[in-house]
Amino acid sequence: MRSLIRAAWRSFEMSTRLRVVSPWAYLNWLVFPVIFAAIGLFVLTSSGYARVAYGVLGGGVIGFWSVTYLDGGNSIQEERWNGTLEQIFAVPTPLVVIVIGKILGSLLLGLLAFIPTVGLAYFGFHAVLPALDPLRFAVSLGVLSFSFFIIAVALTPLFAISRSAFTVLNGLELGVYGLCGFMFPVSQLPQWLQPISYALSPTWATRALYASATPSASGDIAGWWLASIGLSALYLVVSVALYRFVEVRARVSGELALA
Amino acid sequence: MPSDPPFRHAIEVADLRKVYTTTRGTFRRTKVENVALAGIDLAIAPGELFGLLGPNGAGKTTTVKVLTTLLLPTSGTARVLGHDVVSATGDVRRRIGFVFGGERGLYWRLSGYDNLRYFADLYRIPPQVSKRRIGELLEVLGLAGREHDKVEGYSRGMKQRLHLARGLLNDPDVLFLDEPTIGLDPVGARDLRVLIRGLADHGKTIFLTTHYMFEADAICDRVAVIKKGRIVAEGTPSSIKQLVGDIGVVEFEVDTISQEDIERLQGLDTVSSVVVTERELALVVTIHCAQPAEVMTQLGRLLDGIAFRRVSAREATLEDAYVELIGEAS
Repeated sequence: MRSLIRAAWRSFEMSTRLRVVSPWAYLNWLVFPVIFAAIGLFVLTSSGYARVAYGVLGGGVIGFWSVTYLDGGNSIQEERWNGTLEQIFAVPTPLVVIVIGKILGSLLLGLLAFIPTVGLAYFGFHAVLPALDPLRFAVSLGVLSFSFFIIAVALTPLFAISRSAFTVLNGLELGVYGLCGFMFPVSQLPQWLQPISYALSPTWATRALYASATPSASGDIAGWWLASIGLSALYLVVSVALYRFVEVRARVSGELALA
Repeated sequence: MPSDPPFRHAIEVADLRKVYTTTRGTFRRTKVENVALAGIDLAIAPGELFGLLGPNGAGKTTTVKVLTTLLLPTSGTARVLGHDVVSATGDVRRRIGFVFGGERGLYWRLSGYDNLRYFADLYRIPPQVSKRRIGELLEVLGLAGREHDKVEGYSRGMKQRLHLARGLLNDPDVLFLDEPTIGLDPVGARDLRVLIRGLADHGKTIFLTTHYMFEADAICDRVAVIKKGRIVAEGTPSSIKQLVGDIGVVEFEVDTISQEDIERLQGLDTVSSVVVTERELALVVTIHCAQPAEVMTQLGRLLDGIAFRRVSAREATLEDAYVELIGEAS
């Protein structure tokens, strides 16, 4: 067990170091979130205080999600380009342990996205969240992190099975912005789309996060936390089967290498 | 640690087949099957340095990937140290190392030491053991002193030695080397060959693929020649040469030679093949034939008016035997 923890830690360390020296990583946690936050703040600061949380936090949540989910997948694609994907696949450490380390690194980097976006909100738009409940906010952020972490851990191995899976999975990143209510409430979506939103764990965690920062918000925040955690647990169970599938599929197709 | 099942051969392969299924066409897609391995059998003794030779696309890398658990065979069986590569992947992975040729396969933006430490942890080697082993490997492979430099600053030879260090981190009983000297300068390649031979002399089973025949001839205990997914010959380098024992080689250098002249040479009864290669400013014509002396006497008559730079006859090398075998198998 200790050797597995050490392997996960080293994977976390390596992935973080590779991100820090990569100029592209800064796009995801610094540049893109600021652009989203700026758009959100322009639109939402004029629409009343109830929506300000979306403006102040929306860009950060988008950045957080992008880095956590996409960097995990990117790192698998980079391993393929480096020619190291086959090597990490054929070690005695299970792939899931290596992926957990990588995603923890992405999660940490993703949290940094809140710094520029909240900074932009405060200094650029004088938008503040005076009614923020620190305890509820912290728990909600923890639940949101957990939901992002589980989704990323579950979906990242799919990047390994096919060189073209990346294109499809990239699309999911954008869909989640809208479906999970990062920049506007899910209630604004068409009725037929809302059930999909409610089946996604970040929807509930995001709702709890924004509610804990909004004075007029009402609702069962604890219930939303539980809904998010429950859905995440369900994803975790499904991901066990997914990892088995990926292991077999990658060994059949031989697509771990570039050619 | 689980014990190994009883085994006579370090690597044992029986009727191994690998078929890749791809699609062809844009709108009307049809499935296409590419046979990479068409049923091969191999048995490699513990401590043996075995070479698998063949042209590009013959199935060398596919064989290595099946044996290193990276690919699932379509049918047949493959065992490494008695463990099935399909059902006992964990046991196989713990006991093997593998090195693929070329510069890729390393984290260039990190140091050589960081690369090794990362893989040591992924191989679940205790820290005190890995620290000692990394130090020893850096020393033996001539990387000591440069281990904290980024890999992107390494020469190709250094990168290949770092690959080998990574492959040896877990002190594997079986080491797979897929064209390890590809792209290396002659001195670097020779040094690596000496290292590989040394590892076999210390009891490691080594499975080497290459298309450098002199390399296989120099270091391998036994070789097999693979062509289009089938083993076409197997034995010691000497026995492979004896397969074409009645074949000799006549070689000559010329400035130029026409297609008609080559066809005239090929038309001789005793000639089995004629190969023309460029070497510096000359063309080297290599004739594989049954009676070299007779062919040499006929050269002047057949190629009247051609200025020969050098003409010689010699015994067949492993490369000559390989050319014959690959030609026959096509």
